[in-house]
Amino acid sequence: MFHPRFGCVSASLLLALASFAVPSPASAEDVIRFGAPLPITGPLAPEAAAQQMGYNLWAEEANKAGGINVGGKKYKVEIVYGDYQSNTPRSVQITEQMITQDNVNFMFGPFGSGAAKAASTISEKYKVPTIAASASSSQVYDQNYKYLFGTFTPNDTLTTPLTGIIKAKAPDVKKVAILARNDLFPLAIAQEMEKSAKANGFEVVYFEKYAINTLDHSATLSQIKSLAPQWIFVTGYINDLLLIRKQMTDQQMKAPVVTMIAGPAYQTFIETAGQSAENISSASWWHPAEQYDGKDIFGKTSNFVKLFKAKYNSDPDYAQASAAASGALFQMAIEKAGSLDRDKVRDALASLDVMTFWGPVKFGSNGQINSLEPPVFQIQNAKPVVLYPDAIKQGEFKLGVN
Amino acid sequence: MLAVQVLINALVLGCLYACIAIGFSLVWGVLNVINLIHGSFIVLGAYLAWGAYQWAHISPWYALLFAAPLFFGFGYLLQRLLLNRVISAPVLVTLTLTFGLDLILNNAMIYYFKADYRKLTLSPPTGSISLFDVVVPVDRLIATASALALTGLLYLLLRRSKVGRAIVAVRLDRDAAVLMGVDVKSIYAVAFGLGAALAGCAGVLMALIFPISPLTSSAYLGKAFVVCVLGGLGSVSGALAGGLLLALVEGIGSVYLGPAHATTLSFVLLIVFLVARPQGLLGRKGFE
Amino acid sequence: MTRANFALLILIVIVASLPLFGGAYALRVGTLACMYAIFALSWNVVGGFAGYPSFATAASFGLGAYVTGILLNNGVPLPAALAGTFIALFLGAVALGAVLLRLRGHYFAIASLSLVEVFRELINNATDLTGGGMGLNIPLASSSGILADAMFFFYAMWGLLVLTALVVIVVSVSKLGFGLSCIRQNETAANMVGLNTTLYKSIAFGLSACFVGTAGGLYAAWVHYIDPSDVFDILYSVKPIVMALMGGLGSPLGVVCGAFLYLGLEEVVWRNYIQIHSGVLGVLIIVLLLFLPHGLISLRWAMVWRKVKHA
Repeated sequence: MFHPRFGCVSASLLLALASFAVPSPASAEDVIRFGAPLPITGPLAPEAAAQQMGYNLWAEEANKAGGINVGGKKYKVEIVYGDYQSNTPRSVQITEQMITQDNVNFMFGPFGSGAAKAASTISEKYKVPTIAASASSSQVYDQNYKYLFGTFTPNDTLTTPLTGIIKAKAPDVKKVAILARNDLFPLAIAQEMEKSAKANGFEVVYFEKYAINTLDHSATLSQIKSLAPQWIFVTGYINDLLLIRKQMTDQQMKAPVVTMIAGPAYQTFIETAGQSAENISSASWWHPAEQYDGKDIFGKTSNFVKLFKAKYNSDPDYAQASAAASGALFQMAIEKAGSLDRDKVRDALASLDVMTFWGPVKFGSNGQINSLEPPVFQIQNAKPVVLYPDAIKQGEFKLGVN
Repeated sequence: MLAVQVLINALVLGCLYACIAIGFSLVWGVLNVINLIHGSFIVLGAYLAWGAYQWAHISPWYALLFAAPLFFGFGYLLQRLLLNRVISAPVLVTLTLTFGLDLILNNAMIYYFKADYRKLTLSPPTGSISLFDVVVPVDRLIATASALALTGLLYLLLRRSKVGRAIVAVRLDRDAAVLMGVDVKSIYAVAFGLGAALAGCAGVLMALIFPISPLTSSAYLGKAFVVCVLGGLGSVSGALAGGLLLALVEGIGSVYLGPAHATTLSFVLLIVFLVARPQGLLGRKGFE
Repeated sequence: MTRANFALLILIVIVASLPLFGGAYALRVGTLACMYAIFALSWNVVGGFAGYPSFATAASFGLGAYVTGILLNNGVPLPAALAGTFIALFLGAVALGAVLLRLRGHYFAIASLSLVEVFRELINNATDLTGGGMGLNIPLASSSGILADAMFFFYAMWGLLVLTALVVIVVSVSKLGFGLSCIRQNETAANMVGLNTTLYKSIAFGLSACFVGTAGGLYAAWVHYIDPSDVFDILYSVKPIVMALMGGLGSPLGVVCGAFLYLGLEEVVWRNYIQIHSGVLGVLIIVLLLFLPHGLISLRWAMVWRKVKHA
């Protein structure tokens, strides 16, 4: 009678042990490996695709030039991708796997503030310099980690100029309604918006969060409509914003100002929303119209845009640019440090104070960049038109969203 | 007037919820199987409508005509070949089995269609109607009307046709039905097929209003659950009652408590009903 | 102590030697293995012993993670936080169980499933306390080396597993276990012979929650960042059931074997077939339920060997 159980026990032990037998890949000689965990499948897949485009463009350009110069010797760039299926715990697991088993030298953070925050603990534990290409919420950087850097400035750098412009150009706007997705970045930026609105004398008549994966917003939108705000501010990711915009149209909601973050910067949003995207305002961390002259591998912003267009046949948006910028920043730091030693590269990143195609780059003591001046823009005639800062202004603010 | 708008929204949404839930309710009521694949069937139906419109320019109403028999066949076979083996097993087994089937179907859909959201946009777009300050989008209205038509058809089927009456007999009392000469095994398969067909058609209608993605299947399933418990199992009127109640609660809850709490409220309501009135508003006390 | 229970304890002791075989990553998998075993053992109390198909495991896990996380954030040291979580979850589950366990079969299953949804949304909306959708940040318990950290959590989870196994074994041979077994076989009859079924069922539900909740607390301390959709994942409710079905419902040794086997499969599949891993899980479930409804433990190896010899 002992046999079945013994068999069962040995079978399970064997299989469990089998999962440990993982062959470790032979590390190639003149290659620097960058780990890039991304939500290649799952609801955040469109965002992952954007990041991949940016990373790949940079890797290609770097390798075209022979590779990264490490103290006189050129090393090729290799990016190791992993799919964490838009599931945060998996992103943490993949990050650890990449560090311990795939022998990556440096890491790119996973997409978004939530996953970036979760995975940053791993890279901090293993002391691997990580650049988060898409994490803006200050909550990501409040753990006093030394090895985490981010290319997005804090959320209030978006909401402050936005509020300023609306106050100046649309003086009849008094009431604001805010609807936020209950998720790290969308909620954090909505909270910043509330602060900014109140500080500028607007009345916040509505502030609510909607659950992730909500399909029907009709009751919420009806309620917002009945409050008749002049400014409707909605946060979420591309899919949420498209859905909400459609349901707004269904309910025939009109307002002088409608702001959505973070979707309107993407070509997909403009194409899918069609006419209903007209006059929607937004803010982001970068715009192809910027005119920076950088010391990185891309140099001028216009050069980056040109190379991107040549490879992908479309204008780059800020997410794609940020990914490429993260790569370019690693390159600059490695070349400055002259070595692949993680601590040296980390110190080089922390001491960077340089102009790039992405903008002036200087990281604050918490690792988050604090030198950018994020543009505010509005969709006019199916194109994102920059309204601020003045240096690259392309047009004037237009009132009225139908 | 906000109250009237919310009410109208709820009525429209409620009928859609009923349409989502009716197939699920039928299977649960008749076979005593909680069909966790239901949500994925709906999404598959939506993809069918989307694909038909995208590539063959077949309007969704025609898509309904071939979705129904397709899904019926699929469901019938699934029940006959797979589910029938465990039909008398404890609830744990059937629930977990359908969960496993759902994992496979969902994974297959994600693999082939990718998780990106697709939208079936009718061109020209249908817009909305406005009456006395109340706005209703036309696509929802049409979907609601079709949903009501579908449920009406099912009602007639259950009442008037021989097969329908056999299904009702099995639901009321399985053993008595056997004694009356009903071939219960094939009735089970027919009922499951019917449930699948209804899910597929509901999916076609949903494609008009909501974005399509395998990730939405659990949202549909969740709604179906709540509607069934609220309204009562196995009957058309139960599904309608449950759907309307759910939509009303969500709409009113959304206005007074905020949208974030609307889902919580619906599940709390579910638990309250389960404990206090498990047979729902219009159901009969029955299976455990 | 039956032979099966003895074998279970031996198995657990063997697992403790894992650090000798692998580095940090192996320890991570080992910690997960212990966690899964705790889930399976705990579920078995209410699902296997009492026969109530509970889908509430994810609710206990999530609640435990958040309770510990919030306590840790308020300066409570880890052992105290875990103890607090344990007690809170046990009492809470007993109370909730008294209400929910009046339902049977399908209705109970759905009610327990809804618990997961309700608690997830409640946590999601209590933004000031839990961070809501923004997640909860838990401070790094110590800045010791990676290996030391991994070992600490492995042994902590392992210790919890030992505790769980001991309690479950004690329950299985006690009056409580006998009562649960009566309830499973015929609750009405058990009631009629004077068994206080409500009390027994509630205690069983409480036991099924407290260890899972504490494991959730450890998990939160381990990963440092939790958010509602991660810890209140329905899969945490379904996986223990699959493990129990794989290994053999009702038998503690069986469910633990099921847990280890499941984890091994999951790692292998996830490593190599990531695109279809949930589909593979689905196929596994179906094969199991159709062909091996009583789990691996029912396999007569002697019979299999004989079949192979004569094939």
